[in-house]
Amino acid sequence: MSQLSTLSDAELVQRCREGNTDAWNELVERFSRYVYAVCTRGYRLSEEDADDVFQEVFTRVFTHLDTLRNDAALRPWIAQLTRRLCLDSITKRGREQATEEPMAEELAADLAEIDEAFTVREALATLSDTCQEMLDRFFARDQSYRTISDELDLPSGTVASRIARCLSKLRTELEGRNEGPRGSRG
Amino acid sequence: METEDYLDLRIDEFLDRLAEGGRAPGGGSAAALAVAFAAGLVAMVARCSRGSWEDAAGVAAQSLAIKERAAQLARTDADAWQQASAALGEAGADGDAEGRDRDLEQKLGHAAAVPLEIAELGADAAALAALVGEYCEGAYRADAAAAAALASGGASAAAHLVQVNLTVQEGDERLKRARASEQAAAESAKRTLASIR
Repeated sequence: MSQLSTLSDAELVQRCREGNTDAWNELVERFSRYVYAVCTRGYRLSEEDADDVFQEVFTRVFTHLDTLRNDAALRPWIAQLTRRLCLDSITKRGREQATEEPMAEELAADLAEIDEAFTVREALATLSDTCQEMLDRFFARDQSYRTISDELDLPSGTVASRIARCLSKLRTELEGRNEGPRGSRG
Repeated sequence: METEDYLDLRIDEFLDRLAEGGRAPGGGSAAALAVAFAAGLVAMVARCSRGSWEDAAGVAAQSLAIKERAAQLARTDADAWQQASAALGEAGADGDAEGRDRDLEQKLGHAAAVPLEIAELGADAAALAALVGEYCEGAYRADAAAAAALASGGASAAAHLVQVNLTVQEGDERLKRARASEQAAAESAKRTLASIR
């Protein structure tokens, strides 16, 4: 994990404004999946249209970064920009594809789900590598305690407790995300 | 061939279906649901102990994940078993015997993989039951013990289904894993029940 990946959004924006290329790459890396998910899962854009929106979103972010008034509000800004450009793309494609547009309620639910998933992903990234590994193995890869214990060389009786503590740290991180700068890696 | 989703049935309907005498659901589905019930109980006990136990929420989250996985396996097991059973029925027919043998082996292999997963989930549910039994509020200890016993029963039943699968021989890695899960679940249950009596 690079040092830049532990920066808060506001700190990352500051580095980008200073012309730091690595910071810009980190910003794109941090938000690329999010933007793509909003395009494809939220607005059901084709791969081609999603690629176009993706390029346009990051071009505008790059050229308008100075206009962002609250640096910590980077994600809502990118989200709004992406949504607007997705709608433009759908309008441009014309009415023949209107049936593929998601219903408003469905769209709102999908976007909320994408937002939640990315919030959790960001919070996960602040945890220690061991915590990230254990949570990924148990919740995403459906691995048993025994497999986790064998592969990470941990005493088998401690896996469930360790996962519980990692979840507790994740919860604290999620609860604190709107209250101040990003915490240290736990 | 696809079975209905048992999770959409009422409990009495599922029990009637189990008793009906058809091919599925059978022992694997029942074992999966026993583990799911155990995990559900563990989640309840953990949630009720949040006020006094720091790790309670994290343990409840893990229990819920196990409950979901185990419940889904009730149907997966019935699907796998029906497919293997159909392939067994066609084993003696005329035609491409080699192709049928390969198909049969693959389906029987899948029919062993599902109860193995159930057994491992049973061991995990029993481990969580032992953990909540140790740290939960006193009023819920009996539920933790019930969860441990159910999880151990589910793991044991599932391990037996792995053992009797036609593709599984003594010394097979799948059988070793199933037995290890059965044993781990039994030890957790024994410990939990002993601490409460």
